[in-house]
Amino acid sequence: MQNRFLPYLLTLPSLFLAAVVIFWPVWDLIQISTHDVSRFGQLRDFSGLTNFWALTADPDFTAALWRTGVWTVLVVGGALLLSIPVAIILNTDFYGRGIARVIIMLPWAVSLTMTAVVWRWALNGESGMLNSALIGLGLIEQNIQWLASAETAFPMQVLIGILVTVPFTTTIFLGGLSSIPDDLYEAAALEGATPLQQFREITFPLLKPFINIAIVLNTIYVFNSFPIIWVMTQGGPANSTDILVTHLYKLAFRIGKLGEASAVSLVMFAILLVFTMIYVRLAMREHRA
Amino acid sequence: MSLTKWTVGLMAGMSMLTLAAQANAGEVRVTVAEYSAKTGPYFENVKKDFEAANPGITVKFEIVPWDVLLQKLTTDITAGTNADLSIIGTRWLIDFVQQDVAEPLDSYITPDFKGRFIDTFLSPSIMEGKTYGLPIAASARALYYNKELFEKAGIAQPPATWTELQEDARKIKALGSGTFGFGLQGKEIETDVYYYYAMWSQGTEILNKDGTSGLSTPGALEAAKLYKSMIDEGLTEPGVTSNNREDVQNLFKQGKVGMMITAPFLSNQIKDEAPNLKYGVAAIPAGPTGARGTYGVTDSIIMFKNSKNKDEAWKLLDFLFTTEQRAKFTQGEGFLPVNKEEAKMDYYVNNADLAAFTALLPDARFAPVIPGWEEIAQITSDAMQKIYLGSAEPEAALKEAADKANAVLKK
Repeated sequence: MQNRFLPYLLTLPSLFLAAVVIFWPVWDLIQISTHDVSRFGQLRDFSGLTNFWALTADPDFTAALWRTGVWTVLVVGGALLLSIPVAIILNTDFYGRGIARVIIMLPWAVSLTMTAVVWRWALNGESGMLNSALIGLGLIEQNIQWLASAETAFPMQVLIGILVTVPFTTTIFLGGLSSIPDDLYEAAALEGATPLQQFREITFPLLKPFINIAIVLNTIYVFNSFPIIWVMTQGGPANSTDILVTHLYKLAFRIGKLGEASAVSLVMFAILLVFTMIYVRLAMREHRA
Repeated sequence: MSLTKWTVGLMAGMSMLTLAAQANAGEVRVTVAEYSAKTGPYFENVKKDFEAANPGITVKFEIVPWDVLLQKLTTDITAGTNADLSIIGTRWLIDFVQQDVAEPLDSYITPDFKGRFIDTFLSPSIMEGKTYGLPIAASARALYYNKELFEKAGIAQPPATWTELQEDARKIKALGSGTFGFGLQGKEIETDVYYYYAMWSQGTEILNKDGTSGLSTPGALEAAKLYKSMIDEGLTEPGVTSNNREDVQNLFKQGKVGMMITAPFLSNQIKDEAPNLKYGVAAIPAGPTGARGTYGVTDSIIMFKNSKNKDEAWKLLDFLFTTEQRAKFTQGEGFLPVNKEEAKMDYYVNNADLAAFTALLPDARFAPVIPGWEEIAQITSDAMQKIYLGSAEPEAALKEAADKANAVLKK
């Protein structure tokens, strides 16, 4: 009799914690976004969905929304494609593997903001390291103004995003790889399977749950990632590298439209929630089948 | 047993938290913007000297980088945990006054106290006849030029007009070897202001007389075209939209840029970082009609309405605005004196750089006192970046920006 309530009782503390750190702020955001709100967050009249309609009429918001999608897909996708081979290599036994693992993990240990600051210096048009290196190698003849326009700035930001996402992703995959028993490979090798076939038939299917986890977690992190874009371009020039978080920050703290900023925040929350639910559903169904 | 211990500990911790949240009697908390590496040490000394002279009052300075100051204030005020005093950009003051968070200081200000200030700098902090802030930092902008490059290019004196500036920039560009004529800022804070210098010289103001945006006037278009033509001709540094004020200042310190417009603190930086650089400071170039304008900026220190220790806070303000304290702060940071007595000190009178700045003060424009100013500044900066990049024609970009600005102004 008591057993039926036990699971609920046991999840109660974490539910309480979630309520404090998630539900309460979301409730607050809903309050702010549906009211006419002062520069300093005092709520005035109820305004319904006015703030949300204002967003749809704002071309900067729609542009940032699309760009956030592109940013997330490219960074998460790029990090996955890069991390799988890196993890496989780091999983094989070779001399100096410890050092190699440390090197791959290092970007993770440095704060994201510092990484972005260093890259901002490196990409400086006149005195940046990247330009001097490229000129030194004879690859370019004139300095490239990396951060002057979105055409060069955004791809660089995506590359840096991939770079800092790889360590975490690799860690997940290394965990996944170490759970695959070696005898599977031995058996496959005896049957004459090539390394590529081993990857396709053994490694990849068994790694799938880990890939799914990496996709979900990375999507959430990258979608919300602020420092790289903010530090390097502040979403500029002329909002051409803005993603939703940087757009939100400008709305809230530059211009003081806390209502609209809260609305952006809720839209982001909703997108991530829906994405996660759909994705988890799909992944689970596949798992069962 | 252990559970009760926990509870007791938890209760004790919570009661300490509530205690800490309440301001202690006699404690004055001040949010301070970090202008440079010298800001922190200066206020540490203030704390020491003031507390020694005023037993029973403790001062707590919270030093915050400029970039996040407004964000911190917004969140603090929303949560009701703001300090007693804070430095703010005077251009934000109207929001603070309208939201009723700033305390008028008139009941504290004696005629003698008021007499300490230079009127030009005190007046932006006065709204609807009430003084809501005291100018803690004042600054203006002037043209810095590299004397060595000028000499090499055979230019005798700094340009008096924008046409001369273009000529000079051409000559400096002709020197080759990675030198650029005119440093143009195209990123981050004050990107709009850098454009106003040219706009003001065309006789155009940020706001027309009828209160609409000046961006759709012919003068505004001329100014935008001037900068764009200089970019296209290669008279500026390349990649304008990737250079913020510090980036352009760095190019100037490296001797790569012939001219740039910036604040007096560059002189202090040059003294520390590039002592061998030969430079001069001159007026901002004038337009065809002789009109010119510089940007005057003050930061104000304000008292919050919900402060529990207003009398103690005022004592601190009184102390901060003594001539001696002002001189220490202003000279360390490289600002302009706001205090009459201070301005008479040898340091300012014999300083050629600062003289150029003070001479420009009659032409100084302060940011207009209107709600939504930050949004209009952002709109203007965005329009400039589009023009500089060539992603929009000057006419179209300015028209769009003027419409957006007018919509903000109507609210």
